[in-house]
Amino acid sequence: LIAVDYEPLAAVFDPAQAMKPGAPILHTESARSETRLDRAQFRFEKNSNVLSVYHAEQGDVAVGFKAADEIFEDVYSSQKIQHGHIEPHAALAYWEPGGKLVIYTSTQNPSSIRAQLAELFDLPQSKVRVIVPYVGGGYGGKVHPRLEPLTAALARQAHRPVQWVLTREEVFLTAHCHASVVKIKTGVTRDGTIVARQVEGIYDTGAYALTGPSTTKNGGEVAGGPYRIAHQDLTTYCVYTNTPPTGPYRGFGVPQVCWAYESQMDDIARRLGIDPLALRLKNLVQEGDMFVTGDKLVSVGIADCLKGAAEAVGWKGKEEQRSREPNGKARGKGLAVMIKTTMTPSNSAALVRLNADGSAVLLTSSVEIGQGTQTSLAQIVAQELGISPERVSVTFPDTDVTPFDQSTSSSRTVFTMGGAARQAAEQVRRQLLEIGANVLEADVEDLELVEGNMQVKGAPEKKKSISQLFQARYGAAVGSMAASYDNQTSGGVDPRTGKGKASAFFFLSACAAEVEVDTETGKVTIERVVSAVDAGKAVNPRQCHMQNEGSMIMSLGSALFEEMVFDNGQPINSTFLEYMPPSMEDHPRRFESVLVETPHPEGPFGAKGVGEAALGPVEPAIGNAVANALGGLRLRDLPLRPDRVVAGLRLVNGESV
Amino acid sequence: MKIEIHTVVNGRELDAAVKPNQTLLEWLRDDLQLRGSKEGCGVGVCGSCTVLVDGRAVSSCLMLASNAEGKDVRTIEGLAQGDELDPVQRAFLEQQAFQCGYCTSGMIMATKALLSSNPQPTEDEARDYLSGNICRCGTYKEVLAAIKSLAEKSPEGT
Repeated sequence: LIAVDYEPLAAVFDPAQAMKPGAPILHTESARSETRLDRAQFRFEKNSNVLSVYHAEQGDVAVGFKAADEIFEDVYSSQKIQHGHIEPHAALAYWEPGGKLVIYTSTQNPSSIRAQLAELFDLPQSKVRVIVPYVGGGYGGKVHPRLEPLTAALARQAHRPVQWVLTREEVFLTAHCHASVVKIKTGVTRDGTIVARQVEGIYDTGAYALTGPSTTKNGGEVAGGPYRIAHQDLTTYCVYTNTPPTGPYRGFGVPQVCWAYESQMDDIARRLGIDPLALRLKNLVQEGDMFVTGDKLVSVGIADCLKGAAEAVGWKGKEEQRSREPNGKARGKGLAVMIKTTMTPSNSAALVRLNADGSAVLLTSSVEIGQGTQTSLAQIVAQELGISPERVSVTFPDTDVTPFDQSTSSSRTVFTMGGAARQAAEQVRRQLLEIGANVLEADVEDLELVEGNMQVKGAPEKKKSISQLFQARYGAAVGSMAASYDNQTSGGVDPRTGKGKASAFFFLSACAAEVEVDTETGKVTIERVVSAVDAGKAVNPRQCHMQNEGSMIMSLGSALFEEMVFDNGQPINSTFLEYMPPSMEDHPRRFESVLVETPHPEGPFGAKGVGEAALGPVEPAIGNAVANALGGLRLRDLPLRPDRVVAGLRLVNGESV
Repeated sequence: MKIEIHTVVNGRELDAAVKPNQTLLEWLRDDLQLRGSKEGCGVGVCGSCTVLVDGRAVSSCLMLASNAEGKDVRTIEGLAQGDELDPVQRAFLEQQAFQCGYCTSGMIMATKALLSSNPQPTEDEARDYLSGNICRCGTYKEVLAAIKSLAEKSPEGT
C-alpha cells in the first residue's frame, strides 16, 4: 500500500493578482513556448508570472495629456471564451515498421504538429507524416498540438494504430480565449482630436505559454486602435495563472483591446457632444499613414467600412445618443471599428501542376476548415491558367507530399498561400505561353488563355487547346507541367521598441448594431447587426460574406452570454448544457455583411484576408448600442449579462444593486 | 452481454446484437459504419447527431441502441435515392448552407423532420425547431434560406 500525502501549492487565478509582488510563481524557468513562435520578436520576462511584454511608444504621452482638454481613464475586462468547434479534437496515429510516425489529425497547423512531434520523439521531420482531412471547425482552437503527442506515444506502446477523440469536457480544458483586463487612458481636445492614448492590457494566458506571447503582442500593436494619435504608449502583458491553457482564438488578442478603445470612444463622443460616427471619421487612419508600429499603412478602406456599416444600420448622427427613458424596452444603435495585424513574417509554398487534359492540381498544405480555402485557391489558380475552377483539384495537407505552410490561421491563407498559388500558376502559364508562341507562331504578348484554350488576342479563331499544346510539345497529349513558389512575407517587430514591420497587411473593419434592452430583466436582444470588412479584393464574395456572418454570430455570443465559469481555477460549465454557443434563436433578424474592396498591392488580385476581420468590432458596437439605448449607461465588463445590465440601471437610478 | 434487436435502418431490416450501454450513435457509427451522424456535445444539445426515429428528430447520442427495437431509423446516408439527392440536401447545396459541414448532417435531418410535420414553416417556427442544432460557423442565415426555399416549393404552397 502506498500512502500519498499531498501538499497543495499556492495558486493564483487572477492575472492582475498574478503580477503583484508575492504572488506564487508558476514557472521558474523561462518558457520554451511553441516551436512556431519566432522568439526574436518577443520580450520575455524571468522569475515572474509575466511571461512576455509588448511595448511601443510614439511621441510623448505626458506632453499629449497636457495638451488635452479632457482625459478619459477606464478599465475594461473580457472573459474566457470557448472556441466551440462542434467537431472535437480527434487524431489517429500509427508507426510504420521503419520507424516512421504517421498521424491523421484535426488540426489547423500540420507543419507545427510535424515539428513538435519530431522534437518530442527525437525524429527527423522526414520521419513524421501529418495528414489532415476536412476539419470540422477550429477558429484558432486547433492551431496547437493537443492530443497528437499522446496519441502517437500510445500507438508506439501498443504497436497498433490508436485513435483518440476528446469528449466535450476535455475540449474545454485544451484551450480557450485569453481573458483580459485593459486599462485605457485617452486625452482629447474639445474639437474631438485624440491627442494621447496610454493602454495597459493584461492577457491571462493560463498555465502554459503556447501562443500567449504572440496573442499579447498582436493585441498590443493595435491597442491604440485604427486612429491617428500623435502620442501613444502601448503595453500588453502575457501573464500566467493556474487556469487551463489558452490558445489563439478568432481575433487573436485584438477584440480585447477593441472592446476597450471603442467603448471609450463613444463615451468621449457623448461627453464632447459629437456624433460617434463623425468622431471616428475625424480620427481614423488613412492610406499611407505611418502606424504606431512603424508600418506604412496601405489598402486602408476603413472609412468606407464605417460609412457602409453606419448607412446599412440607418445611423442618424447625434440623434442616436439621445437619452431614452429607461423604462420598459429601450432601443439603441452603436458603431465600432477595428484594426488588426496578421502573422508576420510567414511562409507558404505551393506547387501547381497542369495536366495534359487541361486540368490542374494545386498542392498545398492549407487546411479546409469550413472557410472555403479549397474553393478560393482553386479560383486563383484557374484565373491564372484560364481554365474553369472545377478543373482545379486542391489537395489536403500531407506533409510527405504537400509543400510547407506556416499555418491555416491569422486569416492569412488567401493572401499568403493564394499569393504562392498564383505565382506558381503564373510560372506554368509562362511555360505554356512559350509553347503556344511556337505552335501559333505569335509573340507571347499577343497570346491569351481563355476557357482552356490558348488563342491569339483579337483573332480567337487562331487557337489551340491545352491538350493540343501538350501534343505539340511532347508528341502526345500526356505528362504535366509544374512549378512551385515559396511565398515569404518579411518583417517582424523589434522587441525592444515594439516597432518594425508588424504586419504583411492590415485587417480593417467596422460594425453597426441595433439592440433592444428589456430594462426589467436586463435582457439584450440584437435586432440588427452589420459588419463591413475591407477584403482588398473578394476572391469569392459569397464566402467572404459567410466568414463575416460567422464572425458576427460568434462575437454576439461573447458579447451577451458566453463565458467560462471557474471555481478555484477549475472550469465548472464545461458542457454545451451550461455553456451554450449562439443558436438560431439568437440569430439577429436583420443581419448583413458589407464588403469593401481596397486592393492590396501584394495580395493575389489585391486580396487580403477576411476570416477574423469582422469579429473585433461586434462586441463594442453592441456595447455602444446598449449604452445609447440606456442614456449612456456604460458597462465595461463582458459579457453583457442581464444581471449586469440590471445592476447598471439600478446604479444609475440610485437604487441598491 | 448483448441485447438482440430487430430494427430498420435506412429502409433495411436488421437483426443485431447491441451492447446494453451502447448509444444509438455509437452503434450507427462503430458497428454499422454509418459515420454521417456526428457527436458534438454528447449531452443532446448540439444536434449534430440528429437522426430520424419513426420520422421524429432524435439526438442519437442520448438514445440507447437497444431502444431502436422495432423502430424505423433513418440517417443522412439514407436520404439520397441512388444518385438523386433528397430535396433538403439539394436546398442546402443551393443555398450553401454550411461552412465546415460538421453540424450539417444533423441540421439536414432536423430540417427533414420539421418539414415532414410542417411543410411550410414560418421563419419563427423554423428558428424554434432548429434551435437545438448548433452551427459554430454561424451559417444560420443560409439554413433558414434553404428552409424557406423548400417551403415555397412545397406542394401545399400557396
